Amino acid sequence: MSEATHAAGAIEAHGHGAEVHHPGAGIYVIVAAFLCVLTAMEITVFYVPALKTVVVPVLLVLAAAKFALIAMFFMHLKYDSWTLSAFFLFPLLIAFVLLFALLMLFAYLAHHRG
Amino acid sequence: MKRATGFIRAAMLAAAATLAGCAQGRELPMTTLAPKSDLAVWIYRLLIEVSLWDALVFAIVMVVFILAIFVFSTRVGEAAAPWSAASDLKLEVAWTLGPALILLMISIPTVRTIFRSQPNLPPNGSLEIEVVAHQWWWEFQYPGKDHIITANELHIPTGVPIRLSLKSADIIHSFWVPQLGGKRDVVPGQINELTFEATVPGMYPGQCAEFCGESHANMRFRVFVDSPRQFAEWEKAQSAAPIAAALIKDPAAAAGAQAFSNSPCTACHRIDGVSKGTIGPDLTHFGSRATMASGIESNTPAHVAQWIINPGHVKPGAQMPAFGLGGKQLDDLVAYLESLK
Amino acid sequence: MAAQPKALPVETRNYLRGGGLIGWLTTVDHKRVALMYALSALVFMAIGGIEAMLIRIQLWSPDNHFLSASVYNQIFTMHGTTMIFLVVMPLEIGFFANFIMPLQIGARDVAFPRLNAMSFWLFLAGAIFLHLGWLWGGLPDAGWFGYANLTERYFSPGLNLDFWVVGLLILGISTIVSGLNFFVTIISMRAKGMSFMRMPMFVWSILITSVLILIAFPPLTVGLVFLLLDRFFGTHFYVAAYGATPILWQHLFWLFGHPEVYIMALPAFGMISEIVPVFSRKPLFGYPMMAYSIVLIAFLSYGVWGHHMFATGMGPVADSAFAITSMLIAIPTGIKIFSWLATIWGGSLRMTTAFYFALGFLLEFTIGGLSGIMHASAPIDLQQTDSYFVVAHFHYVLFGGVMFAILGAIYYWWPKITGRMLSEKLGKWQFWLTVVGFNGTFFPMHLLGMWGMPRRIYTYGAGLGWTHLNQLETVCAFILGISFLVMYINLIKSTASGEKAPADPWDGRSLEWSIASAPPAYNFARVPEVRGRDAYWVMKYGRAGSRGVAMFMAGQTPPVPESMQAAATGPIHMPAPSIYPLFVALGLMTMGVGLVIGEWRIIILGSITLLVSVVAMGFEYPTYGQEPHDLEELAPSSGGIDLRKAGLWAFLGSECVFFASLIATYVVYKSRNIGGPGAGILEIPLTSISTFALLMSSLAMVLALNAIQRNKKNLMRMWLGLTIGLGLVFLGIEAYEFTHFYHEGLSMQTDLFGQSFFTLVGFHGAHVTIGVLWLATVWFASFSKKFDKSRALSVEMAGLYWHFVDIVWVIIFTLVYLMQQVKGA
Repeated sequence: MSEATHAAGAIEAHGHGAEVHHPGAGIYVIVAAFLCVLTAMEITVFYVPALKTVVVPVLLVLAAAKFALIAMFFMHLKYDSWTLSAFFLFPLLIAFVLLFALLMLFAYLAHHRG
Repeated sequence: MKRATGFIRAAMLAAAATLAGCAQGRELPMTTLAPKSDLAVWIYRLLIEVSLWDALVFAIVMVVFILAIFVFSTRVGEAAAPWSAASDLKLEVAWTLGPALILLMISIPTVRTIFRSQPNLPPNGSLEIEVVAHQWWWEFQYPGKDHIITANELHIPTGVPIRLSLKSADIIHSFWVPQLGGKRDVVPGQINELTFEATVPGMYPGQCAEFCGESHANMRFRVFVDSPRQFAEWEKAQSAAPIAAALIKDPAAAAGAQAFSNSPCTACHRIDGVSKGTIGPDLTHFGSRATMASGIESNTPAHVAQWIINPGHVKPGAQMPAFGLGGKQLDDLVAYLESLK
Repeated sequence: MAAQPKALPVETRNYLRGGGLIGWLTTVDHKRVALMYALSALVFMAIGGIEAMLIRIQLWSPDNHFLSASVYNQIFTMHGTTMIFLVVMPLEIGFFANFIMPLQIGARDVAFPRLNAMSFWLFLAGAIFLHLGWLWGGLPDAGWFGYANLTERYFSPGLNLDFWVVGLLILGISTIVSGLNFFVTIISMRAKGMSFMRMPMFVWSILITSVLILIAFPPLTVGLVFLLLDRFFGTHFYVAAYGATPILWQHLFWLFGHPEVYIMALPAFGMISEIVPVFSRKPLFGYPMMAYSIVLIAFLSYGVWGHHMFATGMGPVADSAFAITSMLIAIPTGIKIFSWLATIWGGSLRMTTAFYFALGFLLEFTIGGLSGIMHASAPIDLQQTDSYFVVAHFHYVLFGGVMFAILGAIYYWWPKITGRMLSEKLGKWQFWLTVVGFNGTFFPMHLLGMWGMPRRIYTYGAGLGWTHLNQLETVCAFILGISFLVMYINLIKSTASGEKAPADPWDGRSLEWSIASAPPAYNFARVPEVRGRDAYWVMKYGRAGSRGVAMFMAGQTPPVPESMQAAATGPIHMPAPSIYPLFVALGLMTMGVGLVIGEWRIIILGSITLLVSVVAMGFEYPTYGQEPHDLEELAPSSGGIDLRKAGLWAFLGSECVFFASLIATYVVYKSRNIGGPGAGILEIPLTSISTFALLMSSLAMVLALNAIQRNKKNLMRMWLGLTIGLGLVFLGIEAYEFTHFYHEGLSMQTDLFGQSFFTLVGFHGAHVTIGVLWLATVWFASFSKKFDKSRALSVEMAGLYWHFVDIVWVIIFTLVYLMQQVKGA
């Protein structure tokens, strides 16, 4: 939806060309390779019985790494204005707080089922 | 004129109640300001404590407010220029730390009361009662060897910790007897507990406090706090089968008994030794109750008859259908029910 | 299509005139949209007020039969829903924020004018929708909070609640779009020199309110979607018999509901912070702390929802935590009260009606705040919650606080908005009637609550001691009703024959007072340059020590600053009108009606209207923002962040909260699952392939962006095509997986695992589908000749959305698939 007021147009036409320093295709391919490796590690962890005790933390760390790689490079937050990262990271923090709080609250309820 | 005096009376009552804490609770049977259990007393004390802090803060705000408007305001050109200093670090620190300290003072007793009032396990020697909330009436079960089941009237003794296990048969309700303590919601799929010890014998009205549909307002009940001796008597009477002697004396009641056991009533209502329904209230000792229809009417033959003719008229949305009974059959049935002491 | 926005001659008439009916239906002018919000809200205020009167008549005496139980329940439900969603929010956000905020930051409109119009039409559609149940047997009757499981079809079979659910969803979309719009507007469209610490406090409050909207509405949406699925598609999200719990609704609802209180309160704080300095003729005291306290309140408000649920049995630890966070909010709120008092202190007060209401606000809101501290203390709350004490408390906050602020704002800004003054005499009458009526109605409720009167009861027994106070309240409620009649008379008289308002009737401090009343359509002939806090005051009087000081002290009026008299230097481009926002709303509303009454042809009609309008809106102005003179005048104060990109990122932030709510439900319900095949049914090899496909599609996507940035169109089209293809592979595998599960006996209705799995993964799949459609649109558009390097942003935007969908899958793949054997909480 390309909609913006007059003032907006000014900002866009002005700002855009100057602002972008996106990484080259090479970096993208390297990141993608990392993502594949991480995914392979995840699946391995799932299938190796010996890792059963550490499966949760390992999987969470691997997922977080993939998350961060995509956000930083593919969504080029690393190269964009910090403001944009803030727009995303604050609600993300809220989302994690929400998730954690709800899980704790329902964990308590689990002992009072009837 | 009469109305005006009514308002003046209300205002005076309000003032008196606030000042005296409405100590008796006779004029106001559902007041929270006349606590009659340990739990209610803890909450009441906390309320007084917080109210005093609130009053202090409000007084400060009021004083500043009045001074700012009536004393320290200026005329244009007189004193304060619009460029005058628009902040003052010391002041700002003061009105950040001041409230923070007050909140600390409030939060300590708050947390203490929270933990004190929600013991994980029932206290030693406590009387455990199961409360089942239905749309729109209350069922009380006393587990233990006699397994008393009653409806809308809870009897408990003084001096014994009471542990209520709250369960719902349908949707969310909330158990509330203001003079005996705070509410606890009744949630389907969940068992909530309420623990308290009543201190003063008496009758305390309660009511469902979570909106539960059409007749939410009519989901009332009573708690009779008895002396231990009275309670033992009540318990004994309730665990016996209903007195058959009354039936022999009263032919109407006997006919009613016959009518009841052949009627669809049995599908929903339990009478010990007669029927096994569980959807509606247990009627085994119906005649012994002071009220009916979840506490909205006194238990008189006229009211019972009215109810049977059209339950939805007394309690909108009631699940019991109107069976179109009348005449002698109705009278017999009422006589029978009232004989179930 | 008249694609180009028109260049307007500078002497164009004010925004109120011209255009006729079509002009209003197609308007995208933030001022006209705001006015339409105001009109609708004032009508709904009358309806909500009448509902309040009916409630008070019913409670006049014990065992009253004026209203039946069923009607009373409908009335109190609609009173709450109406006042919150159809009166307070549209007045504060739709009306005042929409009208005033762009003026205060020196902008000519909001960031997305057509989305703004769409928000309004969606609001109106949702508002009407809520009332439609009336035609099918009754209004909603489960309370504004609609606690599950009373709202399940089994307990509430009527269509009224269906209209409630869908109506709230439509209102939710409207609100989120507004929040996004205002957020981006404030971030990116401030006039030159208006740094964050120079923004008027009202702008601060709207900025933070927008953030709250973005993070608070998603949980409500999720809760409503669950309810919708339960009511229409036989799932069991709130049915205890299947292991679910109705408490889930309460958490999701209050995760929205408490921030919602501040969504209503923060703009009120902002209004008071505008009114108090102007009529005290002093700058706002402690500006930085005032700004920070808004931020802090908003942040804390997200962590206190549990205080609405103390009675539900969350356990002592959670009770204590929520009690303490709730108390903490009192600290920044206290800072605000004291700072307002310090602003008044020593000021040269002008006792206008607006200022009267601001002063009234200070006292009434303080009372509401102090009673709030009482039920922040969990044990006390157990006596007060769901009693009339709480009714008293939140009316002191929402009426004594928020409504007083709105009334003050009406008296303050009305001259600017309409170009006509309101009668001060009627205003003072209204004020005193409001104060007497309000306190007389609501103060006794504190006592009634402490005397044990529960809320939401249509009748009460005699002998409980409640009668006299209820009668007092009813009488005072009618006084309150009369006070609003006085206001309506004042508004109508002013519109018809009010005195003409000058540009700056109050010796104002912010930029809206620098332009004509009513403002011209383009707001500012030349966009002002801001040189300090209280931008217009500084323009008029200069800084401390300048000539203006002497003038002020002598009580003289300064001349209108030269910079504001100047004419525009060139044509002004304004966004052109559009009819599609109206049709988007109509389409969605038609879909809703079809869904509720179960008529699939109406659903299809609505979907087509919606789809066509959205696509048409997307292609309406393909070259917008490209004209050379767009560059003049407005230098961005925002470090050159593109509006659309800012909007998309904020939207993705909001989506995080949406998915977090879904994921939390999944994890909780998986662990509560009873019977059924369970998570063991999930296949890792198959989903590994789809995961790989999605990851590679992200790579293709960035390569497509890289290509178009180097102006290689064909290469871009190839990579974009690959992205779409891989997306389709993913969707294909998902479709296979879903049908496979269905044949294995796992469906939405089977068990808790099934319903939460299909909902979570299904919502992700829906996002992938939208992503594919979006990419396909870009792919087709790229065949246009004009599509070159300068259009890279449209590829980038679609890409950001696509990568986000990928990120969500990373989480889902881990939590749902790889951790399938892990026991939940």
